[in-house]
Amino acid sequence: MIQLVLSLLLGLALVVSLYFFARRSKPSAEGTAQQLREARQTLDSLQFGLLPNDLVERIFAREDLEYVLSAARPEVQSLFLADRKNIALAWVGRVRSAVLNLMRFHRGHARLHARLSFSTEIRLALNFAGLLTACRLLQITFYLRGPYAAPGMVRTAAAAAGRVCSISEDSLAFLNVKRVDQLENNEARNRA
Amino acid sequence: MSLPINVTDVELAADDLRRRTLSHMPSPLERVIYLGSTRDYNTGLYYHDGLASRFSDEVACEALANCHREAYRQLLGSSVEDLVLQIDSYVQSTHSALRDFLAAWKSLQPYRVAVPAGTDPLAVEFLCGNVRTALAIWESHQDGRSRQRPDASPQPSPVL
Repeated sequence: MIQLVLSLLLGLALVVSLYFFARRSKPSAEGTAQQLREARQTLDSLQFGLLPNDLVERIFAREDLEYVLSAARPEVQSLFLADRKNIALAWVGRVRSAVLNLMRFHRGHARLHARLSFSTEIRLALNFAGLLTACRLLQITFYLRGPYAAPGMVRTAAAAAGRVCSISEDSLAFLNVKRVDQLENNEARNRA
Repeated sequence: MSLPINVTDVELAADDLRRRTLSHMPSPLERVIYLGSTRDYNTGLYYHDGLASRFSDEVACEALANCHREAYRQLLGSSVEDLVLQIDSYVQSTHSALRDFLAAWKSLQPYRVAVPAGTDPLAVEFLCGNVRTALAIWESHQDGRSRQRPDASPQPSPVL
């Protein structure tokens, strides 16, 4: 009797796993083009929106803090520190979410490409892992100790994010708009 | 169908704008506010009669947009201390009464609508926070100055 129950449970587990395996969707051409476009946008937003050196240096500039502490009234100082803390948290949150998006995209699409460089993929994986950890640590630091608590880690995270962007761009050379547009045109032609 | 814009014409128009108009506005804050005001809120297109008559509407629009983005980048790179000086110079150039200016900038926040299209929201929030802080510091400097000059007569406050 026990053997029968065990066999039934095993059979059921196999059927369930087969069901989930069969449900895994294959990337359609349409989905791929959309994901490519989104990945490009994420990459652009990281490179041109969040990571430009002058913006990062400005957000975390100590000279602003020193000036405000010396020239402003206490309530203005508090307002300034609260503003900067929110901006720093928003910045690191957006960098982290963009990196996660890139990582998901890369993981989903890298297996479709036969000519991937093993060393590049390993480097990218290590950079992704290091960057996500650094972002999490920065979030905790900003939350507990304010935006000026870890200037070195900010620079390291920004540099690592820059590296991820350039490796990602090199590794996924098909991530260019021309290619995406071509893909979408093919789709449209196929649908017609 | 509109003709493609000639990049050289846009650069010439932008240079013309910098030389004739923007050179009279030393601070990026002044330039951003001015260039933002040349944009139609409904269409997002920039208009400048003089520039359009020398070039074309499209070229003038593109040149104004380029100069706006350039001035905005410079403003974003300004420190809080520099922003305080820019606000001071801007108020002097507008000849507004201090109270009117402060009331309008605190309640209407004109710098918020003066940012170029497509600007990252994080950068906008960062700039607005900096301008708010700089405005508060500038206001306290004015209070200090008016206390030093007790004969300064109060101005009527605007209805906002």
